[in-house]
Amino acid sequence: MASDTLRKAPGTGGSRDLRRLLLENGALTALLVLLVAMSLLSGDFLTTQNLLNVGVQAAVVAILAFGVTFVIVSGGIDLSVGSVAALSATFMAWMAANDGVPVWLAVLLAIAVGLACGLVNGVLISYGKLPPFIATLAMLSIGRGLSLVISQGSPIAFPESVSFLGDTLGGWLPVPLLVMAGMGLVTAVILARTYIGRSMYAIGGNEEAARLSGLRVNRQKLAIYALSGLFAAVAGIVLASRLSSAQPQAAQGYELDAIAAVVIGGASLAGGVGKASGTLIGALILAVLRNGLNLMSVSAFWQQVVIGVVIALAVLLDTLRRRTGATGGGAGGGSGGILGGSGGSGGSSGGRGRALLRGGVAVACVAAVIGAVSLLSPGSGSGTTKVGMSLSTLNNPFFVQMRDGAEAEAKAAGVELTVTDAQNDASQQANQLQNFTSSGVEAIIVNPVDSDAAGASVRGANQAEIPVIAADRGVNGAEAEALVTSDNEEGGRLAARTLAEEIGGEGRIIVLQGTPGTSASRERGAGFADGLADYPGIEVVAQQPADFDRTKGLDVMTNLLQANRDIDGVFAENDEMALGAIRALGDRAGDDVAVIGFDGTPDGLAAVEEGTLFASIAQQPAELGRIAVQNALRAADGEDVEDVVKVPVKVVTEENVGEFS
Amino acid sequence: MSSQDELLRVEGVRKTFPGVVALDSVDFDLRRGEVHVLLGENGAGKSTLIKLLSGAHRPDRGRVLADGREVRIDSAQDAEGLGIATIHQEFNLVPDLTVAENIYLGRQPRRFGLIDRRRMERDAAELLTRVGLDVSPRARVRELGIARLQMVEIAKALSLEARVLIMDEPTAVLTAGEVETLFALVRQLRSEGVGIVFITHHLEEIAALGDRVTVLRDGRSVGRVSASTPENELVRLMVGRSIDQQYPRERPEAGEPLLAVRGLSRAGAFSDISFEVRAGEVVGLAGLVGAGRTEVARAVFGADPYDTGTVEVLGDRLPGHDVVAAMRAGIGLVPEDRKGQGLLLDASVQENLGLVTLRSATRAGLVDLAAQRTAAERISGQLGVRMAGLHQHVRTLSGGNQQKVVIGKWLLADTRVLILDEPTRGVDVGAKVEIYQLVNELTAAGHAVLMISSDLPEVLGMSDRVLVMAQGRLAGELPAEQATQDAVMALAVATAPPGSPVSETEPGTKEEEGPRGQ
Repeated sequence: MASDTLRKAPGTGGSRDLRRLLLENGALTALLVLLVAMSLLSGDFLTTQNLLNVGVQAAVVAILAFGVTFVIVSGGIDLSVGSVAALSATFMAWMAANDGVPVWLAVLLAIAVGLACGLVNGVLISYGKLPPFIATLAMLSIGRGLSLVISQGSPIAFPESVSFLGDTLGGWLPVPLLVMAGMGLVTAVILARTYIGRSMYAIGGNEEAARLSGLRVNRQKLAIYALSGLFAAVAGIVLASRLSSAQPQAAQGYELDAIAAVVIGGASLAGGVGKASGTLIGALILAVLRNGLNLMSVSAFWQQVVIGVVIALAVLLDTLRRRTGATGGGAGGGSGGILGGSGGSGGSSGGRGRALLRGGVAVACVAAVIGAVSLLSPGSGSGTTKVGMSLSTLNNPFFVQMRDGAEAEAKAAGVELTVTDAQNDASQQANQLQNFTSSGVEAIIVNPVDSDAAGASVRGANQAEIPVIAADRGVNGAEAEALVTSDNEEGGRLAARTLAEEIGGEGRIIVLQGTPGTSASRERGAGFADGLADYPGIEVVAQQPADFDRTKGLDVMTNLLQANRDIDGVFAENDEMALGAIRALGDRAGDDVAVIGFDGTPDGLAAVEEGTLFASIAQQPAELGRIAVQNALRAADGEDVEDVVKVPVKVVTEENVGEFS
Repeated sequence: MSSQDELLRVEGVRKTFPGVVALDSVDFDLRRGEVHVLLGENGAGKSTLIKLLSGAHRPDRGRVLADGREVRIDSAQDAEGLGIATIHQEFNLVPDLTVAENIYLGRQPRRFGLIDRRRMERDAAELLTRVGLDVSPRARVRELGIARLQMVEIAKALSLEARVLIMDEPTAVLTAGEVETLFALVRQLRSEGVGIVFITHHLEEIAALGDRVTVLRDGRSVGRVSASTPENELVRLMVGRSIDQQYPRERPEAGEPLLAVRGLSRAGAFSDISFEVRAGEVVGLAGLVGAGRTEVARAVFGADPYDTGTVEVLGDRLPGHDVVAAMRAGIGLVPEDRKGQGLLLDASVQENLGLVTLRSATRAGLVDLAAQRTAAERISGQLGVRMAGLHQHVRTLSGGNQQKVVIGKWLLADTRVLILDEPTRGVDVGAKVEIYQLVNELTAAGHAVLMISSDLPEVLGMSDRVLVMAQGRLAGELPAEQATQDAVMALAVATAPPGSPVSETEPGTKEEEGPRGQ
């Protein structure tokens, strides 16, 4: 059906031009195929509001990708843009919040920071002769680290006067969309018309030839990476404005999205080829996919698979077009020797074969999307109540249990529950909440990646009069009907008391912290410190983040043990890190070192049973999910709900572990 | 000729690419134990024909027969199965693998699933002896010069027990001595019954090595003649008209010195080089490959640094290692490695032509694209670049037309001293003469040309003075009337004075440069 619509399109006017445009641009074809497929599959997709949403959701990656386009066209790569975006945004918020710097100056300084990061990249690459991959990989780490240093790990509220950048003009036209369009135009002009733009193509096409033709290659590269840094800064400001909060962890992994957008748009990683329009299309493809898959309630895990498949297919489509459409493919295959032989054979199978092949890929593309979606989306009865639930991550058993509890409750109540996974990315969560709001669910449950950052999107839901229930973590700056939570601070205090009593009120302990900047880590840490204040005999000899991750817990613990052999206890802010620490401790765990975790996940409880984990502060995630759904349904029916619903937290030790598993 | 002597026959083959008929009713045959020369201008279809035989392309029409049976060669594997091996101009060797690994790439002998390195190296050593190459099978290919790379390619072909060996311009990058070694090997293979398809632009090689010649012109086979056919007749067949004069040099009066180089030295590359190039002059720079000619040219142009000495243009001293300053003073360089250093292969003709003038066509950061286009149109018309349009990618142009584009970008920049490094390498006879005419026009307009070439007849035919380099030093200078092949060669093989810091390391630097063109 999708292909029918496509075939009709050329007939409607300017048919030949359109057809040529499509044939010459595989990415555009892929985008149109996607748009058609999504419109057919979801009634909520093709609305003005939703299309504007898609634009907004594409904006940050698109702006980053424009900057990366310069770099890729010149034959380089920039992995640092995500970090630089976060650094610029936190720097700006910090200046404006702490030092009373006027906002306009803060914006300029933030852009200067991005520019400076780009310049450092450029210097390392053109004068230090570092490979771009390595130089920008270093900057990826430096930028992220500095933004954590500046913000001390916590999000900084963004000045109101800049937040308009994330808002709408005249109540409907989103500013991020305008910024994206503006930056896109600038990119197009730079690439096509300016000296530096043409130099990018020359350097990417053949650096030595460019140098021998009098281009100052080093100087140009400096400017190219600086431009990329500048674009990253703009993207960072837009991102933070949208969330009304500058997050040190924002835009993590966006560099890969940006590179994907550029390559989907037809640029070659070898350099010399690429266009602003292509990059925009690439960014839109990614945004349309995420948006559409949200709307269609595709399982969060399968979404990632589908996105990967579509990226591969989109680039494949373009590669095929290139191979078949290249003028005089034969003469062009100058370098094709024995090894290139098989590559050339595709080109000689005649025009019809190519068209078939290309058609085949397009059909495969549509089929993949439709098939995936129809297989993966839960059957949707039309009359049922719809509830959306956005979880901070599903890469953690705790939230998986929360989801399971919520789904069980929804099933029992006969309502349709859509669960999305924000992958610990506040801006992806904002997109998902936006999508819920525009697709008209009756209630939203949000488990915020960050309480401040979720505010802006929840305000949107407030305006649409959709009740929002916060789960596990609260929402700041907007109205949530209820907060369903286990008390993290109380849990931290409980952990401190339990550990202190086990080691007899004195000794040396190590604390493994969660992802810096997350509220869970902050609150548990604060509660633990508070609880520990009663035991002056206990010394915290080391305190390091391991990002709630088991592997990192193992690594960090191993390192800390090198410096501190002699310890009596470990507090890990979640069970995963505690399990990592237990691996690092080996036989000592549960023997002469008491380890306390947090969450009471199945793996954690098993370890308690074994005796390696002394205790876990058990939240009851399934219970949490269940209660969140109950409250959401109550709120959707207009009933009153309590402002804070406390789900009990319990200390689980060997004695009572039987009650939990 | 009995039919069992016939290895390969091509009948009425046609091959088109979008917009181009590359081959049309081409006939060709190859017998056991012969060297069959394939002759034609660039773009005549030689490359396409050998790609049909090596499995890179399939013909649209016509038949290919091997041993009298009709065959389909759809892939490199098919070609290999028929005993057809091809040595392309650009070698298919992996620089960081050893010689033995390259010879047996993808077919390494195995034992218990692991590569049997000892056997592989022993077999490779045998093959290397057979081709007369004295290198260790364990040497890295990166360390070898071009001539040796070629021998490795031949050894690889022999390891496939090739009965048909296709060699695409194997002599283009070799020195006279290396060519002799190659010829000896080819003759030996011929006597062993291998059929050899040999492509060359050097007409004198045909009589020396070939048995029969098939001439291609505009995608058609226009003649099959004996290798003893006189050169001018071969040229007539190739270009479809007779070329009266291969080297049409007109010598205007030399004017004031434009370029003066004094005492230029760089440790390990060249030392104490001094010469002048005057307005209206063509100065040839001759010498063996590795004598340091390219290094001097690049240093004069500012592409590489030098330790001591000066470069002056019209009396103004140029800063060292500064291409832009050299350009502003009016020096241009057409590098020896056209594809690697001269062109943006995947960019358009217009883009390539406008590269040098990009800066001067920029106002307030914006490039005047309309002016760039007009200029490109003018110069490509003047040079007679044969192309589908200014938007054609230069990768798809023939060698001669590519070279015209490289020269064209310097003409647009009003270059006063043009350095041409191997300007006609891989360029066909017709385009060669056009390039020589261009040199004449430049010097007639009061500009000057410094020409490096390994093609001795070309240097002698076109230069007003010949500088000869040997082992990093200027061995001597000959006015045109005294410059004979013998005189130049005598200087070129002259050894440097003992204790020269240059002689030991110098050839190595050149060899490194060799494979860059691949």
